[in-house]
Amino acid sequence: MENLEKELRSIIAEITEIEPEKITMEARFVEDLGMDSMMALEILASIEKKYKIQIPESKLMSLLSLKDTVNLTTEYLKQG
Amino acid sequence: MITIEEIKKLIPQRYPFLMIDRVMELETEKSITAYKNISANESFFNGHFPDNPIFPGAFTAEAMAQAACVLLKKSIPDLEAKAFYVTNIKIRFSKVVIPGDQLKVIIKTVKMTRMGGVFETEAKVNNDTVAKGEMTFACK
Repeated sequence: MENLEKELRSIIAEITEIEPEKITMEARFVEDLGMDSMMALEILASIEKKYKIQIPESKLMSLLSLKDTVNLTTEYLKQG
Repeated sequence: MITIEEIKKLIPQRYPFLMIDRVMELETEKSITAYKNISANESFFNGHFPDNPIFPGAFTAEAMAQAACVLLKKSIPDLEAKAFYVTNIKIRFSKVVIPGDQLKVIIKTVKMTRMGGVFETEAKVNNDTVAKGEMTFACK
């Protein structure tokens, strides 16, 4: 889980160009980090590519923080 | 094959900003291959550059975006997008494109949704890669 958190933080930091240390588990993507919906789409696409999983479009709006991203990725990794 | 008249029904761009002439291959939701014939008759070659005509890299990126729009519209036929806005683009240009070249644009879907998509893009001339990268755009 710790490793996944680190990897996802790195993906988010690269796409958003936000310093990794600012991307805490609780920081809200839109309100605190200034992200937009297309950045969220890119994050979702990168996660799917990296972990070879498929996450439905309907889950996009539930990506509100790194914590949500870790939980969602874990859920779909378990489904294989 | 999708002809220019059919392409015009799918994307809002018009002369002088139609950057694809024909679609040769299409696999809905997955990939598209389109062509743009580069003619010396294009007016922008007067300035880009005088006595040294080079097809602008920005137009190659536009050709990629337009091909991706066609892929999106063919994959989601009831999509009611009036315009497409590029929100992120990362392309490495490796060779110049000049009059007489036929630009082959190959787009592969990374993620496609009704709000937009992420695509891997490549442009080739004579099977040599001239530009390669990734782009994201929003439909509104």
